[in-house]
Amino acid sequence: MSFLVAAALGVGLFVAIPIAAHLLRRGRARERDFPPTALVPVARSVARERATLEDRLLLAIRALLIACLAVIGATPFVQCSRLSLNRSAGASVAFALVVDDSHSMRARGAEGVRFERALRAARELLASAREGDAIAIVLAGRPARLALAATTDLNAARRALADLTESDRSTDLEGAVSLARTSVASVPHRDKRVVLLSDLAGGALSDGSEGPPPLWAPVPELATPLENCGIFGAERRGRRISAHVACTSAAAAAGRAVSLVGDKSGKPLPLAARGGIQELGLDLDPKLERSELELTGGDALASDDRCPLAAESASLGVMVAVDVSNASAKTGGPPVLEQAVGALESSAALHPIAVLPDDANEYRNNALLLLDDPGGITPEARSALASFVGRGGVAVAFLGPRVEQTPLGATLEPFVHGAVHWESKADGDVNTASLAWLGAEASSMQDLKLRGRAGLSTTDLLGARILATFGDGQPFLTKRELGRGALFTVALPTSVEHGNFPLRPAFLALLDYFLNEARTRRGAAQSVAGSEWSFPLGASVSIEGPRGALAVREAARAAGSTQKSATPTLAGRYTLRIDDKSEERVATVDPSEITTLPQKPPASAAQTRASANAGSVDASPELGFVALALLALELGLRVFRRVTRERGLTSAAAQRS
Amino acid sequence: MTAPATALRKALDWGKLAPLRLRAKTVADGVYAGGHRSRRRGAGIEFGGQRSYVPGDDLRFIDRHALLRHGTLLVRQFETETDRTLCLLVDASLSMSYRSEEAPGAKYAYAALIAAALCKIAVGAGDRVSLDWFGGERTAELATAGGREAFERVVGALETAEPSADLKSDLPALERAVARVERRAGRGSTVVVLSDLLDLPEGAEAAIGTLGARGKTLTVARVLDPTEVNFPFTGPLHLRALEGEARVETDAAAARPQYLAALEEQASRWSARLLSRGGSLVLLNSADDPVRAVRKILDSVAGLS
Repeated sequence: MSFLVAAALGVGLFVAIPIAAHLLRRGRARERDFPPTALVPVARSVARERATLEDRLLLAIRALLIACLAVIGATPFVQCSRLSLNRSAGASVAFALVVDDSHSMRARGAEGVRFERALRAARELLASAREGDAIAIVLAGRPARLALAATTDLNAARRALADLTESDRSTDLEGAVSLARTSVASVPHRDKRVVLLSDLAGGALSDGSEGPPPLWAPVPELATPLENCGIFGAERRGRRISAHVACTSAAAAAGRAVSLVGDKSGKPLPLAARGGIQELGLDLDPKLERSELELTGGDALASDDRCPLAAESASLGVMVAVDVSNASAKTGGPPVLEQAVGALESSAALHPIAVLPDDANEYRNNALLLLDDPGGITPEARSALASFVGRGGVAVAFLGPRVEQTPLGATLEPFVHGAVHWESKADGDVNTASLAWLGAEASSMQDLKLRGRAGLSTTDLLGARILATFGDGQPFLTKRELGRGALFTVALPTSVEHGNFPLRPAFLALLDYFLNEARTRRGAAQSVAGSEWSFPLGASVSIEGPRGALAVREAARAAGSTQKSATPTLAGRYTLRIDDKSEERVATVDPSEITTLPQKPPASAAQTRASANAGSVDASPELGFVALALLALELGLRVFRRVTRERGLTSAAAQRS
Repeated sequence: MTAPATALRKALDWGKLAPLRLRAKTVADGVYAGGHRSRRRGAGIEFGGQRSYVPGDDLRFIDRHALLRHGTLLVRQFETETDRTLCLLVDASLSMSYRSEEAPGAKYAYAALIAAALCKIAVGAGDRVSLDWFGGERTAELATAGGREAFERVVGALETAEPSADLKSDLPALERAVARVERRAGRGSTVVVLSDLLDLPEGAEAAIGTLGARGKTLTVARVLDPTEVNFPFTGPLHLRALEGEARVETDAAAARPQYLAALEEQASRWSARLLSRGGSLVLLNSADDPVRAVRKILDSVAGLS
């Protein structure tokens, strides 16, 4: 408490003045001479009682008035449990509310559900906002989203806040904070803050998160650790079920077991008493293929204690056709392409193949085909490939010198039409500007030291779009839509013999792009809640989820295309109907939402909280009104007493006359 | 109570009623000028009317002309112009020093003004005046005297006296004053008592009532302060009598009706006692016009009230 607070509250001691005056006055009426005193009767009780009642009311009003004035003096420093914004010199504030809507925020702690607590805090902060304050709302569930751009319309902010709902997304706190900072960067307010309403579980902030505007984590109780176990994957594998369970600690796992709902014959499979991730296998009753796994017992988060069974091979299948002799690293090991895919998608099921399948069924359970330096595609293989792509598969051809060695009867269709020449003397590098949609990694495509490239003629592209070019304008990357799938053609091979292309970050970024494309087009039978499902623009799509129909919208994709997409935000089973074909997908929670315990707020956020004087409330206007009301009440009481006396005198005079 | 405080409390508040001499002349001039005629009927020189004969009347005054003309017995009456003595008895007890903010001066000052005015009127009519007191300090009793000099002496005595003394339990002092007046006042004298009739000892009514005996005209003028008449107080009160030890803690609104009733009952009691002795009671308010007050006394003396 500062000196000013003490001084302001010290004014409250003046309450003693009216009390003392009251006591002195209440003691006796002032004695006065009056000769005919002997004729005056004693009426002490009435006089005392009336005086006492009136005086006590006046005393209470005056004491309250003084107390009000004292509190008004100290108001800017008064603490209360309600959150509010502290203002420097009363100026307007711009703040971005980062509301974590990830799965871990659905946990129920001592103060209720974390997400509800965060919303309550947001509402309290919003209630303390005044006209002129700018507010932005960012959601920290992956991917970080801007729910409300910075605006001074407080009603719009309230509406946006009211529309927020919980989800089972994973956490993207870094992205959310970055988005929040960007959202308030352009407003003219000098006082800017990023308010973090998160449990910091599933994705703690790194030390690099410091920077202007400062972070403020006003609800530290959100980060109170809670015991939880959850099933984050349940996949059918023949007559067995592969279940993945994550627990926060050994205590959370102790005494709990996994069982198949409806399976009366099977015994629950107990969990190992340890924290972290564990995989369990259960027998599957064929009659219960569409059932769910559930965890016995209870914990802080009930929604992840059940998980529907996903179809077999729910993991992303990737077929890689690589000439091992050319595409392997000199240090040995798998080809560069396989290593890169394994690094990017650890759960991906890699299927190295020597030749392209002639039967479309061989593509079953695969979503992506990576074809390095193909020497031609036979008609059978071409047909099977077209069928695979048409059903939603993604095929990528990295063209190399073998394009000139196409055997008789084989072509490079459906990637490119006609013969393709290998230009052993390539001029320049990839035009990084044309690859800007890839992100920051695009800049690494300079000085590739290329020893050749496939010369793609714009007339041979079979209607494909050029996504990136070389410096001389020749196509580097093309994309062709075919049915529900897509064909990509890259004019460079993945062998390090022909340049540094596979060694550059852009190569990994490009592969990641292909993997995402495959994942979204194929639609993994099991994906993390919050991952987007994409569909061809012309497809008719309807989705039924755990809470009714899921909205399908048109969304612009990278590289300028437009697709239909839908985002399952809650874990559970979804039934999709795409062009009269029905399929089921399962959305699960990210295991890191369970295993990553809530972290303490960054040091900078804690300091900001202290300096921001959280919880201080400026109630001056309200107290001012109270003081005015008390003053009016006292005046009214005095007038009432005077009128009453005068009426009494008048009536007495009338009685005498 | 300290000496200065006591002195201050005892100091008479003349208020707007000073200077007494000029105010008394003004009041007397306002009443009327010239002599007054006795209204006593009986043996005299000037015919004063007729009345029916009653057994016991002196047969010398039977109007024989009326008997012969109308056949009825009538008795002739005559008026006598006499020299009448005005005996003033002024209450100078401590309660007479009371003055409220609504009054122009203390009750004693008002009584002194009335007394001086009556003196002026009496002297102007050729009557003689005497002055006596009950209570008070530095009071000078003036024997019966007439003329301009008598007025000056009365005024001087009224100005010099100071209300004092607690008569609440001092009936002998009152009886001594009454005795002095009785000795000075012969048959036909007019006795005017100016007092608030408050805090007087038990038996005061009887003692003062004796002044109306033996052919004297007794008028008691009760001088009260406006607050004593109206009791205009509000809220809780703590009252203290100037004489005696009476102290009362009360509520004004609750006590007012009972007080006013007690005051009226006291006045009725005095009026009845005086009436039985041929006297009368005049109620004066010290806030009233002194001229009207004097007229009320004169009317009372003349038997018109």
